[in-house]
Amino acid sequence: MFLHLQHIQKGYGTQQVLNNVTVQLPAQQTLSILGRSGCGKSTLLKIIAGIEMADSGSIYLNTKDITHLKPAERNIVYLFQEALLFPNMNVFENISFGLRIRKKSEQEIKKQVNEMVESLSLGDHISKMPHQLSGGQKQRVAFGRALIIQPPLILLDEPFSNLDVEARTNMQGLYKQVAKQYRLTALFVTHDLKEALIMGDQMSYMQQGQLQLYQNKQDFMNDEKTGVKNELVFWNGL
Amino acid sequence: MTFKPRYVSIAVITLACITPVLVLVLLSLSQSWVYPKVIPGRLSVSQWREAFRQNTGIANSLYITLLLAAAVAVISTTSGFICSKWIAYHKHKKRLLLLAYLPFVLSPVILAVCLKFYFIKLNLAGTFVGVLLAQLVIAFPYSTIFFTGFWNRQMLQYEQLVKTLGGSQGYAFKMVIVPAAKPLLLICFFQCFLIAWFEYGLTSVIGYGKVPTLTIKVYQFVTEANIYYAALSCCLLVLPPILLLWINKRIIFRQVK
Repeated sequence: MFLHLQHIQKGYGTQQVLNNVTVQLPAQQTLSILGRSGCGKSTLLKIIAGIEMADSGSIYLNTKDITHLKPAERNIVYLFQEALLFPNMNVFENISFGLRIRKKSEQEIKKQVNEMVESLSLGDHISKMPHQLSGGQKQRVAFGRALIIQPPLILLDEPFSNLDVEARTNMQGLYKQVAKQYRLTALFVTHDLKEALIMGDQMSYMQQGQLQLYQNKQDFMNDEKTGVKNELVFWNGL
Repeated sequence: MTFKPRYVSIAVITLACITPVLVLVLLSLSQSWVYPKVIPGRLSVSQWREAFRQNTGIANSLYITLLLAAAVAVISTTSGFICSKWIAYHKHKKRLLLLAYLPFVLSPVILAVCLKFYFIKLNLAGTFVGVLLAQLVIAFPYSTIFFTGFWNRQMLQYEQLVKTLGGSQGYAFKMVIVPAAKPLLLICFFQCFLIAWFEYGLTSVIGYGKVPTLTIKVYQFVTEANIYYAALSCCLLVLPPILLLWINKRIIFRQVK
């Protein structure tokens, strides 16, 4: 398995946030994690990214134990709810940020950024500052900034939750296209049932710090607690 | 002839702001300005020349004050910026912030009297370093409180993001955090500079008058009834902050745009 989480536990004081979470995810797959606010989804992603440390358990990425590595050594990119574009940099500089950390040559940076900008349809905005972009465009730039360093794993923490319905649909389509093009392995956290079903190759549901994985989408839909059945009852009743 | 109330009020406010400075400049340039003359009898720059040539101590005071204010501004701004980050994400943030407010509960003179014992014991009373430390007692907590609001959730996420992109803490600071904080850093620098520039109570008590800053000099000239040198010192005291405020305004507004 490409990503293997073993018995991850995390608590704050007396509150147990993650309880024995175990995940196995093959390469080039996106695992959707559905769950209500405060169920521990973001904490799980932060532990995988190395932003927070687990109380116990192990994380393996491509068979390598990364449990105690610093975030910068893991090469796993975390995409937050907000695009978090660096406000002092334009689109080009934002996307090239990771390449500059890796001390790539100016020529290489230019070539890679231009390719990325084209694949994300951001060609007309390359010199714009973040405040000149729409919410959807900002998220595209954030994607570009993450993808350009070719991370083995991307963690998406409700990245489209601040977008309007149209921009959200566009971004979901773009993600599917980009995931295929760049052969991404990703964990996609959301509290939106429809989004979880659209984005995920594999499905899971998190509740009170426990993560349940499903064999396939049908199993996910058949489970009462995911809410799919309630949705179907609602739509069929109209 | 009619006057629009708006223009009249602007003119009155402008006049009220300019007149005191104008009087100081006139007084510093006058040889004799005695009652009942409305304007000085003779104006000359000779006092200004003398002030910087002869042994009046004004030039020395200007250099000391500049050095002191610049040092206080640099040290308090940088240390306050770093310290405020530590406080902002600390679990006892409120208690630590309360400590930062303590120096402002007392007036600077009373605070100086309270601290004087320690400065004497450390052989710092009456020295430049002593006055610098005394002024930092006010400027450092001010700077810390000033920056606490800057360290919000978004700043924390910026740092985390840079780390996941492969950057170090230092890289995040250099490339993202400091540029984002630049306008605030400039404002804080100027304000700390002004705090130190106009400080009298702590400087007087801890410095024993041996560190003759411009405020000490002005007071000295006033008690000597030397109104012309007092006015000249006041001009030196007032003009650099005006210049700083002007630069400050230009920089900040340019960055906001």
